[in-house]
Amino acid sequence: MSPEFERRLTRDWDDPAVIGIDGYRAKGGYEALKNALNMDAAAIIDTVKASGLRGRGGAGFPTGVKWSFVPTNTGKPTYVVVNFDESEPGTCNNRELVERDPHRLLEGTAIAALSIGCRTAFIYVRGEYLAQGEILERAIAEAYEAGFLGKGIGGSDVDLDIVLHRGAGAYICGEETALLNSLEGLRGQPRLRPPFPAVEGLYASPTVINNVETLMSVPDIVVRGPEWFREYGTEKSPGTKMFTISGKVERPGNYELPLGTPLRVLLEDVAGGVLGGRSLKAWTPGGSSTPLLTAEHIDTPLDYESVAAAGSLLGTGAVMVLDDTDCVVDAAQRMTRFYAHESCGKCTPCREGTWWAERVLGRIADGYGTAEDIPVMADMGKHIMFRAFCALADGAASVIDSSLKHFREEFEEHVRLGRCPLRLDHEAVAV
Amino acid sequence: MTSEVTLTIDGKEVTVPAGTLIIRAAEQLGIEVPRFCDHPLLKPAGACRQCYVSVEGQPKLATSCTVPVAPGMRIRTQNSDPEVADAQRANLEFLLLNHPLDCPICDRGGECPLQDQALAYGPGDSRFREAKRVFPKPVPMSPLVGLDRERCILCARCTRFCDEISGDRFLELFARGAGERVSIAAGEDFRSPFSGNTVQICPVGALTSTPYRFAARPFDLTYGDSVCPHCSAGCNMRVDVRRGEVVRHLARDEYDVNDAWLCDKGRYAYRFPDSPERITTPLIRDHGLEPASFGEVLTKIASWVDGARVGVLTGGRLMDEDYYALSKLARTVFKTNDLDHRRGSGAPTAELFAARAPMGVTYRDVERAKAILVVGLDAEQEVPILHLRLRKAAAAGARIWVLHPRRTRLHDVATHVLVRPGDDGSAMDELREELTAAGEDAIVIAGERPGVADAALAVARATGARFAYVTRRAGDRGALRAGVHPSLLPGGRSLGEAGAVESRWETPINREPGRDARGILEACAAREIDVLYLIGVDPLRDFPDAALALRALENVPVKIVQSLELGSLEPFADAFLPAAAFLEKEGHVTTWEGRGQRLRRVRDPEGMSIPDWEIFASLALACGGDLGFESLDELHEEMGELLAPLDVPPSLPAPSEPEETAEGLTLFTYPLLVDEGRLSERADELKAALGGPPFAEIHPDDAADVHVADGDGLVLKTSAGEATLPARVTERVAKGWVFVPFNQPGFQANTLLDGDFVTSVTVEAAELVDAEAGAEG
Amino acid sequence: MVVFEGERLEEAKEILGRYPEGHERSAIMPLLYLAQSVEGHISREGLKEVAGLLDLTTAEVEAVASFYSMFRLRPTGTHVVSVCTNLACMLRGARDVYEAAHEAAEMRHGQELSEDELITLHEEECLGVCDFAPVVQVNFANHDQVTPERMRELIAGLRDGSVPEPSRGGPAMSSFKSASRVLAGLEEAPA
Repeated sequence: MSPEFERRLTRDWDDPAVIGIDGYRAKGGYEALKNALNMDAAAIIDTVKASGLRGRGGAGFPTGVKWSFVPTNTGKPTYVVVNFDESEPGTCNNRELVERDPHRLLEGTAIAALSIGCRTAFIYVRGEYLAQGEILERAIAEAYEAGFLGKGIGGSDVDLDIVLHRGAGAYICGEETALLNSLEGLRGQPRLRPPFPAVEGLYASPTVINNVETLMSVPDIVVRGPEWFREYGTEKSPGTKMFTISGKVERPGNYELPLGTPLRVLLEDVAGGVLGGRSLKAWTPGGSSTPLLTAEHIDTPLDYESVAAAGSLLGTGAVMVLDDTDCVVDAAQRMTRFYAHESCGKCTPCREGTWWAERVLGRIADGYGTAEDIPVMADMGKHIMFRAFCALADGAASVIDSSLKHFREEFEEHVRLGRCPLRLDHEAVAV
Repeated sequence: MTSEVTLTIDGKEVTVPAGTLIIRAAEQLGIEVPRFCDHPLLKPAGACRQCYVSVEGQPKLATSCTVPVAPGMRIRTQNSDPEVADAQRANLEFLLLNHPLDCPICDRGGECPLQDQALAYGPGDSRFREAKRVFPKPVPMSPLVGLDRERCILCARCTRFCDEISGDRFLELFARGAGERVSIAAGEDFRSPFSGNTVQICPVGALTSTPYRFAARPFDLTYGDSVCPHCSAGCNMRVDVRRGEVVRHLARDEYDVNDAWLCDKGRYAYRFPDSPERITTPLIRDHGLEPASFGEVLTKIASWVDGARVGVLTGGRLMDEDYYALSKLARTVFKTNDLDHRRGSGAPTAELFAARAPMGVTYRDVERAKAILVVGLDAEQEVPILHLRLRKAAAAGARIWVLHPRRTRLHDVATHVLVRPGDDGSAMDELREELTAAGEDAIVIAGERPGVADAALAVARATGARFAYVTRRAGDRGALRAGVHPSLLPGGRSLGEAGAVESRWETPINREPGRDARGILEACAAREIDVLYLIGVDPLRDFPDAALALRALENVPVKIVQSLELGSLEPFADAFLPAAAFLEKEGHVTTWEGRGQRLRRVRDPEGMSIPDWEIFASLALACGGDLGFESLDELHEEMGELLAPLDVPPSLPAPSEPEETAEGLTLFTYPLLVDEGRLSERADELKAALGGPPFAEIHPDDAADVHVADGDGLVLKTSAGEATLPARVTERVAKGWVFVPFNQPGFQANTLLDGDFVTSVTVEAAELVDAEAGAEG
Repeated sequence: MVVFEGERLEEAKEILGRYPEGHERSAIMPLLYLAQSVEGHISREGLKEVAGLLDLTTAEVEAVASFYSMFRLRPTGTHVVSVCTNLACMLRGARDVYEAAHEAAEMRHGQELSEDELITLHEEECLGVCDFAPVVQVNFANHDQVTPERMRELIAGLRDGSVPEPSRGGPAMSSFKSASRVLAGLEEAPA
C-alpha cells in the first residue's frame, strides 16, 4: 500500500512511448527548455535555488547555489558534466530513470547549460551501463534531429552539444574531481580542492557537475515552479526523491517518495516488508558508504536532516536490508572488500587501511579472529575516517565504525566461538 | 608586493608571505612536521597524509602541505596536540604494514626519511598479523635506476617530478588501490637525463641508483660540498667518497642555481678522477715516457720554453684561479697572446659582453621571465639544469621560442622554429615585437652554434631584452673572464685597454692579437710555434678539425700535456704534468650566469698531482719569472682587482654577416649530453641508459632527394673527409641541415670538420656493400 | 599487427574529434575501447599506438588503461562473464551463482581464461541492478535475477555458440570485442 502523492520523476514510467522524442513531447517534454530559452540565466538559477532542490548524488548540496558559483566572465568556456557514474552499492535509480525517461535528462542538462552559458555538456556514463549508454545515444540523436541540440537550439541563437563519454569500471570516478580527471583522459584520482570545480573544473574551466536525478528534477521545476516542487518533502529537504530498496525485501526496486517518508513506509508498504516475513536486522540509508542503522531506527524519516540525526547519512537513498539470518561481520567484510578494490590508491589510509581491514575482517568472519583484532579494527576505523584524500575512505570507515557500534557482540562471538554464531559457512571468496 | 600573514604554530608566532603553505611556515619556526609526498619544488599532492596538523576551529585535521596559511590561524602540530601525534602514528602504522624489513640490505638505510620519521613519530610495534605484499625486485626502470616495489610508499614524488619538472613522463603509476605501482611501460625505458633525481627525492629505498647499489653505508662515507664539473650550469653537488674513491654525487639544494637537481651526467659520471688511466706522477720523454720529479720536469720545460714561440691551448675543465694564473703565465712568462680556451670561431661581441659583465641573467631571472628566446642552444643536452629552469618558466606562463635546427625537448612547452641554414637572423627579426613588448622581462639566451650569438645580442640590445651567452663547459666563463683568449685580457679588456693589467702585472703586454685555437694549430703544423702547451684539452678529440690537430701534433717540436691523463696524446707528449681533479682543489668556478661558486677540497690530490694554478706558478719560477702569488688568497686579491666588472661599451662591433649559405646541405654538430667525452669515462651505466651509437639526422625531403630511407647508410662528404653513418630520417631536424652528434662511440664528428662546428656537406645513399664498412675516424 | 589502420584509423580520428580542440587526451578511453575491440584485449602494441595518436608516452597510456576494470590488458576470453557479489546481490545468493559459473565453465578461482579461451569469468562490484539481484553481465549485457541453474544455462549456451538474450530487452553483445566497440561509441559491427 504505497503512500498517495503526485508522481514527478516517475510520472511517465508506465508510458514506454516517452523513451522516444515524439512520446516525450506528447507528454509536455521540452516545454521547460523552451521556457528556459526565454529566461535570463540568473532567473533560471533563482528558480532552482528557490525550489531548494538538493543534489541527489549523495552530497545533498543545494543545486541552484552550486550553479550560482560558476563565474561566466572568465573568458573560458563553462561546462556541465552529468555524473551518470552511479556505482554506490545498492543504488540503481539513475539507471532506471534513464531507461524510462532519457529525454528528461537531456532537457535538464540543457537547462543547466543555459544557466551557466555552457556550449558543450558531457554525460559521463559508467561503462557497465552499456545498454543505458545506447539509450542515451539514441535520445541524443533524436534531440539533435529535432533541433533541441546543436546549432541554434529551439530556434534560439544558443548552440549546445552533448558528448557521451563512457567510463570503464571505477567507482571512484563517481567522485566529482576524479570524474573530471577521468574525463580529461587522466587516471581517475581525485584532485585537491581548492580550486573548486565551479571555478576550475573540466579543462581548468568553470564547471558544474550534477547527478542524473538532480538534473531530471529540473524541467518540472522550471515549468511548475519552486512552490510546486516544495509541496512534498520537508523544509530543508524539499521535493520527492528516488529510493532504491534491495536485499532482503519482497519487492526490491526503485521507488519515488517524498523526502521525509519514514523507512517503515518504504520497507513495509512499498517494498512488501522483509523477505519471507523475517525480521529487520540492519539497513543502509544511502548505500554501503552510509553508516548502518538497525531495527531501532525503522521510523527514521528519510530526509537529509533526520538520517543525520540518527547517526548516518541519506546519501543516494539506496536502502539495503539485512535480516536476522545475515551475518553483519560477513557483510562488513564484503563491503570493505569493495572499498579496497575501488580505492584509487593515492592516499595512505584508504589504500592501506582498506587492504588491512579486508584481511582482518576476513579472519574474524572465518573464525580465525583474535581478541586483539577488534580493538585494532576500531582503531583502524578511527584513523581512516576523515583522514584520507577523499570520501571513499569515509565510506569504508563508516562500514567499520557502524558495524562495530551496533553489532560489536557479533564480532566478539565470532572470536569466542571460532566461527560465525549464525553457523554460516563463509567460503573465502577469491580476493 | 606580496602581503604577509601572521599566524601561530604550537604557540609561537610567525609571519610569512601570503600563500605560504603551513608546512613551510612551520619550518621557518624550526618545527618539522613529518612528511613524505611533500617537496618544496613539487606541487602539493596531499597523498601520504603524514603531515597532519590541527587548526583551531576546524573539526578535521588538515594536511599542512596543501593548506596555505590564513591570518590568525592557530595551528598545533604533533608537538602540542596529542590527537595530531596519534594521527601521525596511525599513518606511519599504515605505511609500515606492507613495508618490508629490508633496512639491513636497503641502500637508503641510515639516510632514510621513513626510518627517521618512523622512529620519531611512529608506533614502536606492529599490530599487523597478515602476510605482506611481495613483488619481484629490483625491477630495472633503466640501466641507472631500479625499483623495489615492496618498499614504495606511493608518495608519487617520482612520477610528479617526471610530470612537473622534467616532462619525461616515462615513470607513471599503474593500476589502483593496493595494487598501485610505479612503473615504466614494457619496452619504454626510463630514458631521461634527469632520472637520478627521482632516486634522490624518493623518501624510501624504492628507487635506487644501480651504480650505487650495495656500494656503501652513509657512515662509511666522507663527503664534501662541490660544484659539478660537467657543464656551465654550476650545479651544487655533494661528492661522497668511500675509502678514498668517489662513490656518489648528490644534488645539494641551491634554489638560486640548480634548485635541488642534478642531471644524470653530473650525478653518474663520477668515476673519472679514479680512472685507472689517471696519471699522478710527472713524466718526461726519454725513449719512452718516464716518471720524474716536478723539479726535473719543470726545469726541462723551462729549457724548452726559453726564447721559444709558445702556444697555449686549454679547455673548459679548470677553475677560475687556474685560468687567471694561466693567462698571466702566457703573457708574462711566455710573452705570447697565442692562448685560447675555445674550440670554434667564437662570437666576438657576445664574448666581450660576457667577459666584462659580472653576473647578468640569472636562473631566477629565467624563472620569472615573461618572454624567452633561446637560439643556438639545445639546453637539455648542453646545460640540462637550464633546460629545467626554462620548463619551470614555461609552467609559470612564460612564452618561449627556440630557434634551433633541431627540435629540442622543450618542444612541448615552447614554440620551436626549425631554422634553415642562414635563416637565424630573419627568424629572430620576426620575434622582435614580442620581445620588445615584454621589456625587462624578456631574455635572449644564445648558445655556441656558430654565427648566432652575436646576432642574438644585437636583437637583445635593440629590443631591450636581457642577454645571456651560454657556453657549455664548466670553465668557459672563468676562462673568458680571465683572458685565456687571443684578444681579451682579464676582465674582458681588449688589448687596447692593457694598461691596467700591465701596471698590476708590472710587465708590458704585447698589443698584437694572438692566434686563436685554429691559428695556433695551423702554426704548429707549419712549425711556426715551437712549444705547444696543452692543459686539460685533447685537440685530436676536441678540436673541430681532426686532421689539422693531427698535423699540428705531428709537426710542432715540443708538446707539454697537463691533465689527469694522457689518452690519445700519449704518442705525442714530451712532458706530462699531473693535475689535481676538481674535487681535490680549492677555488671557484663561474656559471654561465657569471656567478662565482666556491669549489672545496673534498679529498687530497691523488699521488703527486697538484692544482693547475700551482703548477703554473711553479713553472713560472722555473722559467725565471714569478706570477707573484704563493697562496690562493694572494691570487684572489689580484683577481679581485682585475676582474671587477667593467662597463660594456655602448657600441659593440656589429655582428659579422652570416656567410652566404652555399647551395646544398650544411652539417652541424654538438656534443650530446652522454657521449665519449673524457669526463664520462667508466660511467658505464650512464652510457647504457642514455648513450647511443652515432647517426646522421636528415629531413625526409632531403633524404628523399638521395633515396635514403630511415636506417639506411648515409655517406657524408665534406672538405675534410668522408664517413658513412646510419641515417635517421626525421622531421625533428630542419631542411637543409644534417645533424651528427660530436662524439658517440665509434665516430668522432671532428673528422668531417674543417675548423668549426658547421660545414658544407653532400650526402648520398651508401652502396649496400659499403653500408657495413662503418665510419671513418 | 597494427591495431589502428584503415577503417579503425578513420574511426580513431572521429573519436578524437568528439572532444574540444586541444583536449584530445579525453579520447584516450574510447580509443582504448576501440583497441580492445580489435584484439580482444589491449596489447602492448595497442597501448603504443594509442600513445602515438595522442602524442603521449606509452607509460602515460598504460597508466590510464591499467586503472580501470573494464580495460583488459591480458588475453581475454571471447566472452566476459561478470558476476556481481556486492552486498545486495550477495544477500540474494550471488555467491552460489558465482560458484555455479566456475563449475559450468570448468574454471578454478583466479583462472582468468578458460582452457578453450572462450570465457573470462570475474567477480564484479555493484553493477547497478540491485532491484533485480543477483545480477550477471555477459559482455556487459544484463541478466537479471540469475539463479545457479540459470547461470549454468548461460554458460552452456555460450559454449554452444549462442549468446543469450539479455533481460528487459537490452541489446545482446555477441562478444567482448563487439561490446568494446559499442563502448567506444561505435556501431557494434565494424562497417
